[in-house]
Amino acid sequence: MYILGLSLIQIILATVAVVFITISVMRFGRKERGQTGFKLISSCIVWGGILVTALFPKWVLQIARSLGMGENLNTLIFTGFVIAFALIFRMLGSIEHLERTITLLVRKEALKDLDKQKHEKKT
Amino acid sequence: MDGKKRIYIVIPVYNEASVIGSVLKELQRAGYANLIVVDDGSTDTTSQIARESHAITLRHSLNRGKGAAVRTGIEAARMLDADIVVTFDGDGQHDPEDIQNLAREIENGQDVVLGKRNFDEKHIPYYRAVANRIGNFITWVIYGLWVNDSQSGLRAYSRRAFDLIQTETDRYEYDSEVIREIAKHKLAYSEVLMHVRYTSYSQQKKHKQSFVNGLKTFARLLLNT
Repeated sequence: MYILGLSLIQIILATVAVVFITISVMRFGRKERGQTGFKLISSCIVWGGILVTALFPKWVLQIARSLGMGENLNTLIFTGFVIAFALIFRMLGSIEHLERTITLLVRKEALKDLDKQKHEKKT
Repeated sequence: MDGKKRIYIVIPVYNEASVIGSVLKELQRAGYANLIVVDDGSTDTTSQIARESHAITLRHSLNRGKGAAVRTGIEAARMLDADIVVTFDGDGQHDPEDIQNLAREIENGQDVVLGKRNFDEKHIPYYRAVANRIGNFITWVIYGLWVNDSQSGLRAYSRRAFDLIQTETDRYEYDSEVIREIAKHKLAYSEVLMHVRYTSYSQQKKHKQSFVNGLKTFARLLLNT
């Protein structure tokens, strides 16, 4: 099945990529907590790459061949790198979130002492 | 100082037991009674000494970094209805006499006053001057505001400033993040020359900004851009 010369899998991939890029741009635009320029750029590179691959597979094939990645094994290795990068990126995000939560808890605990000390100072 | 404004001095510390007592005494002698010490998970007797010196002492149960400690102190000052908050290093490198110059600038309408070191002074190590220039440049590239001492720990904030400034980083990159907030909220700021005393003690401290820590700070700044 083809629509406008694109296969079903191409349309699905392109739609998913556009949705994720839009979400990232909107989150960054709204200055949501934890949204950084670095995350936006990374997201655009990864999903932009998928979008271009889905819409213009011949271009990507030509670029891959000129980089010596025309063979199946090389492509597999390259895909592995992309997946590893995405996983590391997710893990970094989770660690960052955890660190912030720990700091908030530690701060809350430390500030509990404030009222007690204020009272001691007055008496 | 007319004495009408409530000035709170926030002092983030980590394993400063050998100097914190004298730092607090010096501040008290200079007339500052509202001292908030934030012990960032020290493993020595820093907290105990600070309490005995009659400073409000808050303790982080885990080491979270200078930025996190400063934010805890500022939060405490806000709860205590401070009008002006001054951040002051706990290793004895700052001079309490400089505080009045910073506070005066706030009273004259500035929102944030940044202490700036005079790097032409001979006792300041050359590598500190170089590191500071690199830090200033990176801060300018990332946050778009040029300041002469982006890593200075001596700073003063008006009530408006510490209500508006929202930082997210915990470690030394906090200092640069404040610059971003100044630009973002278009806060009125000025820079005031300050004295620094680099003692053999402060030079030997392992957790201070080393070259490797500087690189880590740079990487974290980029990640949080």
